[in-house]
Amino acid sequence: MEAAVSIESMWAELEQFQSAPFKRLLGAKFTKARAQQFSIQMAYYVQNRRDCWGYVQGSAPLDVKQLIWHHEEDELIGQKAQGKVDHITLAVKEGEVLGLSAEAFERTARLEGGEVCFSAWIRLAQRPWLEAIGGSAILEMRNSGELIQGGSLSYRVGAILERDLGIPMKKQINNAEHVVMDLEHAHLLMQVARKHATTDAARAAILRGASESLMIDRVYRGHLADLVESLP
Amino acid sequence: MDIVGNLLNTLDQMVNDQFDSVEFKSFLGVPLTLERGRFYVIQNALYTSNRRDCWGYVQGSAPLAVKRVIWEHESDELINDPRAGMDHYALTVKQGEVIGLKAEDFETAEIPPMVRSCFYAWHHIALRSHWLTAYTASHMLERRNNGKIVKGGGMSYRVGKKFENELGINLKKMISLDVHVVADTEHSENISEMFGRYVKTTEDRDFVLQGARDSMAIDRAYRGALGFYMAQIQ
Repeated sequence: MEAAVSIESMWAELEQFQSAPFKRLLGAKFTKARAQQFSIQMAYYVQNRRDCWGYVQGSAPLDVKQLIWHHEEDELIGQKAQGKVDHITLAVKEGEVLGLSAEAFERTARLEGGEVCFSAWIRLAQRPWLEAIGGSAILEMRNSGELIQGGSLSYRVGAILERDLGIPMKKQINNAEHVVMDLEHAHLLMQVARKHATTDAARAAILRGASESLMIDRVYRGHLADLVESLP
Repeated sequence: MDIVGNLLNTLDQMVNDQFDSVEFKSFLGVPLTLERGRFYVIQNALYTSNRRDCWGYVQGSAPLAVKRVIWEHESDELINDPRAGMDHYALTVKQGEVIGLKAEDFETAEIPPMVRSCFYAWHHIALRSHWLTAYTASHMLERRNNGKIVKGGGMSYRVGKKFENELGINLKKMISLDVHVVADTEHSENISEMFGRYVKTTEDRDFVLQGARDSMAIDRAYRGALGFYMAQIQ
């Protein structure tokens, strides 16, 4: 319980959304060209999440492996019974409302700065499992409207696209899905922490991974802000 | 024959050759006693856990379509195999009841040094290699358990038969070994299909062969180690 509390309180202290890169990205006006490139790069981000969660699953204890496996069902496979597709397909499908084809996602290279951040996240995911899970799960907490005052990142980006391009949130199927799904996924770290973060060292490891991941996240958002600002 | 056809034939030959190795012969030649059987079943549960680690790492580095295949594969292993009504670790623990083992025996089990070294070696390949090498290294252990490919039966079948012949425990009662006789046949076929999609060049083929050679070498060391430790149990 104590670990879960300290992770939640860490969130308030770090104030990710008050950081310069987040402010710059979320302060930009999104034209169609900017939204298209942002959307493509975010699909790469989603793919990198799949890499990292795989590594975390590899090193975690059996009960945590099982939690991650369920988590990856939504992301990697989708919920066929509910007619929901996986999140990569969803990202590509959302691109259609921005005028993007599937080929546009395939032929557009990863942002250089993004590539570096992806490597950093992978390296973090290959560290001892408590650090690794802190690093991956904190990104879902950052996307939880329950935990973030003013709305999660997906919600805020969705609001910008609605404001600047007149695309209603319900047509932004990927953002809309993440606004809902990451509420659920954000609880994963709390579940794990309650059972496994039973020592100061274990709690410190989770916080270290989370903190490092948020740092990479700020750098990544800075690179996205650069990209957006470089386009008309 | 095409590059993939030749490759699959080579992999088939390699898994068959395992059973002619001195390490496999030594392991399969150790007469089973109840105590040795208990040791084996506990070690097999730890091996299953190591497999879960490695497949997770491989899922991390593989392309998206392969990640999905691995995720499906892990459904049986980690969550629930419909053939058994439970995941494969729980299945191994349940199997232990037949020979007088309790869940605590699995929880408190030590990994012997030579076995630990093999587990770390498999981790290393799964984490640090090209994804085709890592993927093949994990796949080969299921291919080696595929009775359609291995003449005389895969490892689970042969060990199950030892329990039957030497301890009088019917293979059907060794529920984990029995499920794996079928499950690994299906798993190895599903996983093997990916070679047709991703092996296009001699470089790709060499990544696959590297993983196969390294994993089979570790597998021989692992079986040799199990045989050594089992022989110490009087």
